[in-house]
Amino acid sequence: MPVFIGQDVTRIDALDKVLGRAAFAYDLKTDDMLFACVVRSEKPHALIKKIETARALSMEGVAAVLTHIDIPGENSFGAIKKDQQFLAKDRVRYVGEPIAVVVGVNEEVARKASGFVRIEYEELQVISDPFVSMTSPVLIHDEGNLLSHRKVIKGDIEKGFNESDVIVENTYRTTWVDHAYMETEAGLGYMDDDGRIVVVSSTQNIHYKMKEISRMLAMPPERVRVIQATTGGGFGGKLDVTVEGFLALCVYHLKRTVVMRFTREESFLAQTKRHPLHIEYKTGARKDGSINAVRVNITGDTGPYISYGETVCLRAAVHATGPYEVPNVHVDSRMFYTNNPVAGAMRGFGVPQLAFAHESQLDKIAGILNMDPLDIRIKNALRRGSLTATSQALEHSAGLPETLKRIEPFWRSRERQNDRRGFGLGCMYYGIGNTGVSNPSDCYLTFMPEGRIALHSGVCEIGQGSDTVLMQILCESLAMDDEKIVLLRGDTDTSRDAGSSSASRQTYISGMAVCDAAQKMKKYLEKEGYYSGRPLTDICEAALGKGDAMFEGHFDPPTTPVDMETSRGAPYATYAFATHMTEVEVNEVTGACRVVKVHAAHDVGRAVNVKNVRGQICGGIAMGIGLALMEEFSPGKSKSLDDYYMPTSMDMPEVEAIIVEDREPTGPYGAKGVGEPALIPQAASIVNAIKDATGVEARELPCHIERLKLLLEARRQK
Amino acid sequence: MKTISFILNGKKTVVEVRDSETLLYALRERLGITSVKEGCEIGECGTCTVLIDDEPHYSCMTLASKANGSDVKTVEFLGTADLLHPLQEAFINSGAVQCGYCTPGMLLSAYSLLLKNKDPDTDDIREAISGNLCRCTGYIQIVEAIKDAAGLCKHNS
Repeated sequence: MPVFIGQDVTRIDALDKVLGRAAFAYDLKTDDMLFACVVRSEKPHALIKKIETARALSMEGVAAVLTHIDIPGENSFGAIKKDQQFLAKDRVRYVGEPIAVVVGVNEEVARKASGFVRIEYEELQVISDPFVSMTSPVLIHDEGNLLSHRKVIKGDIEKGFNESDVIVENTYRTTWVDHAYMETEAGLGYMDDDGRIVVVSSTQNIHYKMKEISRMLAMPPERVRVIQATTGGGFGGKLDVTVEGFLALCVYHLKRTVVMRFTREESFLAQTKRHPLHIEYKTGARKDGSINAVRVNITGDTGPYISYGETVCLRAAVHATGPYEVPNVHVDSRMFYTNNPVAGAMRGFGVPQLAFAHESQLDKIAGILNMDPLDIRIKNALRRGSLTATSQALEHSAGLPETLKRIEPFWRSRERQNDRRGFGLGCMYYGIGNTGVSNPSDCYLTFMPEGRIALHSGVCEIGQGSDTVLMQILCESLAMDDEKIVLLRGDTDTSRDAGSSSASRQTYISGMAVCDAAQKMKKYLEKEGYYSGRPLTDICEAALGKGDAMFEGHFDPPTTPVDMETSRGAPYATYAFATHMTEVEVNEVTGACRVVKVHAAHDVGRAVNVKNVRGQICGGIAMGIGLALMEEFSPGKSKSLDDYYMPTSMDMPEVEAIIVEDREPTGPYGAKGVGEPALIPQAASIVNAIKDATGVEARELPCHIERLKLLLEARRQK
Repeated sequence: MKTISFILNGKKTVVEVRDSETLLYALRERLGITSVKEGCEIGECGTCTVLIDDEPHYSCMTLASKANGSDVKTVEFLGTADLLHPLQEAFINSGAVQCGYCTPGMLLSAYSLLLKNKDPDTDDIREAISGNLCRCTGYIQIVEAIKDAAGLCKHNS
């Protein structure tokens, strides 16, 4: 029997994609569909006094103008808490907040008419800074401007600093970053023959969106069906409800097929961003380089709604020390509401920002102690038996030391080709799955009448390759060729809730759910003689006749909730680890920084598909280069791809991906995850390389050409 | 409205377009070629890339009327499921495809490069696709795929 795990199995979606026939949501549009577009707030903070729709409605070709009054159920949504309105009723809290939906015979008509929906506002005082929000009498929500305050407390922080020989204290700042997936948010909705609402969209989670639509329309969930179209990238930005609610509402009222897609400008203006964090970081170490105390104060701008703000708040806190064993830790992480863009989930949930801080700190300490940056990392690295900042004992799969070991020969033999070049290291660890909460995945297998097996999966393939990986896991588990298996994915009618494609969780969690279902089916197949040569078609037919047709799979990673005061607990069942070594070349005159080469070593537990893992690593490095050197979303200024710079092929270094496999016993064939880890240490390693090349310490990201030039000039003047 | 005629993927095509209409619109909305994607509408992302007389153009920045009398190619020209172009095969085999939204445009820019340069080095390839953004792959496996395809094309010819 062929082996599937660890093989470069060809992606099952690649053929359709190279032929141009993969159907993304907007490709499904036909001429008879109506087009919907959103009327958005032009004010960052205002009361809505009046919504004037008559003029738009009277225009030729306009089918409907819908506002909050047209919502039959609850006008609220949110992944963590239901605090956001589908269509604003009496108050708006950011520029771009949806107020009305205009439906027309085509896009041109709808967009034109949307310009004639007149909103009367009474402007409120605007809060555009979390430090103002902290003390302002102006409240964005009645309960106050503090969304969340999470702490990590371990040991005795005062004693830790008192017993430290070196103390380094710095402040780090990061800004908004846009997901900038190539496909903007899009979808279509229709009513099926049974009068149910069907939405097909570009999304990272179908079951969540089904539930939100059902609440909004006051319909039972089984009256709603959500299907994932081929999705052109997610990175966290398609976790929140985007087009789905509007489409469902339009179909509910019009009983016609309605299509919509956001323009790039709309996606920039109104969709979630990476959280800008202000990080005050104090590190104490002993003479031998061991880190003795870490005190971190994180202040985040979460915008006016929660989205994933609470998640980022906690995850950033839990990961604040970096992948090191620190006996004394005190972290305060706070998220404040502002009238800036809604900050939500983006690849890494706050951890890339923290990695920038803890890795800069570590290099600074190494410098003072005259220690090699690699040696200080080896000394402090989390390993099997270590206690994390939340006092979780790492019992297995903790491959950070191995990633360092694999980087070591390249690090020890590094040589500057010229004096503009420098080398930097970045390490990270990352908890796989959601933080300290149950986050199960369910799937099932059935026999098909034509003599094949169907995998019913609710896992959204967003480009990361989950379809292929889950099929590999199933083929391996059943010892069966993929030709005998059909993947039925991304349809709430034919699958169970697998949770979101986020938090690097699908290979690990849904992979285990598939293993679980496969084990049950395998037993059945054994009993029915499949492995001793009875044809599958026979078994299928007999099984369907008997009604033995379904094998369920379930997995929920073993975690414990973290303590509200100290975050003590086991928030994740397993962690990924990585070390990046980056070489840069800095032009001292212009301030331009070019990333020359990256060695990226990742402990993924087990690489189910080596080519896909390498693809994630290379893509993560690209996004890390953007985070470090170019990407800066400025509200009101960054409007399109014209003024938002992201890496092109010309910005990419040579990449050597090194895969470390410290197998995770609770994972499918030992696998963990890699999607977010690939990005997390990259910006940190670039900043450290810039320091090595120029002596300049960047404390604010992105360290783009102008910022670096100013830093270089300031250093010259000193 | 005016009537334009051009060669689309090897076939003579006649279509009525508005004066102000982009080639992207005409291809997607009038001719049903949905492999040509829309990512920004301002000529920044390259997902709408098509070849006009074998040169890559952003179809969102090109008036449909400009295609009159020319040869226009989209990814459908390259190959079919039964007979893939070496570039398509290499994209599949090298892990150059993730979400796939940039893929058609990327393939066309690469195709145009290989027509002009049978033996491109890494820098030639990077430059040729520098107008096509990809958010997933970090371009590395795309560059490798194009290099592999170039080798394959040379071998075949």
